[in-house]
Amino acid sequence: MAESDHKARQEMLDMWRIYRTTKEMCRDRGYNVLPEECSISFDDFARKFGTESGAIARGQMNFSAIPSEDMVRKYTPPATPKVPNPEAAIGTLWVEFNADENIGMKNLREFIHHLLNGSYYSGIMIVVKPLSGMAMRGIRGASALNGGNGPKGGIEVFLEQDLKINITKHELVPTHLLLSTEEKAQLLKRYRLKETQLPRIQVTDPVAKYYGLRRGQVVKIIRKSETAGRYASYRWAI
Amino acid sequence: MPPKSILKKTPAAASTQTAVAVAANAPPPPRAVNQRHLNTAVHHARIYEQRKQVEADILDAVFELLDFPTSPDADPTRPSPSDAHRFRQAIVPFQPSDYDGLIEERNIADKCGYTLCPRPKGKAPSTARKQFVETSKGVQIVDRKRLEMWCSDDCARRALFVKVQLNEEPAWLRQGDYGTEIDLMVKNTEEHHEALPLRLKKTAAPAPKDTEEEDAAAAWAARDDALADLAIERGETPGRLSKVNKDLITDKIKERVVKFPPTPPSLPPQSSGQSHMAIEGHVPKSARDAEQAKDSDDEDDKQDWDKALPG
Repeated sequence: MAESDHKARQEMLDMWRIYRTTKEMCRDRGYNVLPEECSISFDDFARKFGTESGAIARGQMNFSAIPSEDMVRKYTPPATPKVPNPEAAIGTLWVEFNADENIGMKNLREFIHHLLNGSYYSGIMIVVKPLSGMAMRGIRGASALNGGNGPKGGIEVFLEQDLKINITKHELVPTHLLLSTEEKAQLLKRYRLKETQLPRIQVTDPVAKYYGLRRGQVVKIIRKSETAGRYASYRWAI
Repeated sequence: MPPKSILKKTPAAASTQTAVAVAANAPPPPRAVNQRHLNTAVHHARIYEQRKQVEADILDAVFELLDFPTSPDADPTRPSPSDAHRFRQAIVPFQPSDYDGLIEERNIADKCGYTLCPRPKGKAPSTARKQFVETSKGVQIVDRKRLEMWCSDDCARRALFVKVQLNEEPAWLRQGDYGTEIDLMVKNTEEHHEALPLRLKKTAAPAPKDTEEEDAAAAWAARDDALADLAIERGETPGRLSKVNKDLITDKIKERVVKFPPTPPSLPPQSSGQSHMAIEGHVPKSARDAEQAKDSDDEDDKQDWDKALPG
């Protein structure tokens, strides 16, 4: 009995950490997240999402997030004569905590249906075990699924164990700042570069995944430097 | 605020400063497009596009076949002709690994791995990860996943019968029309053959030809048929990208102009009998030294003889 109690409590603790990291991740990306949601205490968390038996109810942890004005501005491409009022390439986000051990294309299809019904722009799925190979391939082309009507912003998948700690809080991880399209253009003009001449960062990089970087975006990385105090470098997500 | 230049302003630059600044910041003038490079790029882009299309088709097919068979009381030994036809059609671009993926997906959805079987997947005797199984070769240890793939051995046999017919080569690399017919293990074979569009061989017309003209026409028609067959064999199925790109091959033939009359080959002039020492025309130093020593010896002898002459 004590054994299972201990296990349930450990799982609750893990889920609390994962929940907080997820909220922080949404906040760092620029979605509107209340500060008290990022720093929810363990007791509050257990009261809110625990069942009477002490187990965790993952279904209740799902949430949606709306991008802040800053984020919308950052993701809006500059107006051109052809497109005078460009649409922002960002929208509401749906985050789902999935408790299933095996996740295949069936779950993926349900998830996409949910995103489309709720007219969400993008989705994040947080799973216990890695997805099946076919489902992974499905996610890569998620926006082309259902005959090209998939969620526009695509689907991201995170493993629970990858979110137990917030990697950006580690002392060896420098600050990453996403540049908007105008800032990127200004940078390239200032240094007279083509974007292909920038150093690169993979979109599968853990920090890039945390910030949800897309191909072609540029991040400014600010490191501490013994000689210069601060040192900024720029990387092109690829 | 535009970034300020750190370069020193020269008087000449100052007068035309705005123009220079614009010119310096402007992108380099666009280079003239090399038509051949453009063609090559377009050719490769088309190949990638076709590959992406095939991969999307496979994913869509997996999504569709996940829900097969269409009726819940279908019999895997006697599938309905429409289901069977769709299955056979959708499975053609699959590789064996894609087919394994389909089986895995169906198992996750708690269905038997064989696409035309409506029953749920089998249950292993216990929930252990590895299981002991009695086989003809003795007791074997098997993953629980593998035990729960099929509802019965019969379905396993039917599904693997399909798998061994799949082409190992990815669909976007396949040439020709081979392996597009997948057979199923079914009991109602006749029904399927009636329902499926049969590709009948053209019956040769044995009617005797009256005139030579008709003969010639028939010969030309036969040639066209043969060419069409060859095109299919090369992989130029209608609606698909041709593997032979005519744009990238130039067909201009350049004649060699003869400027002087040809001369028959002749042996190189013999130089003092060294040719037997030559290695591909080169005479090694040792051979050359030996030759020189012989020559100088002769001369010495001559001089000696001169000196020895009295008066």
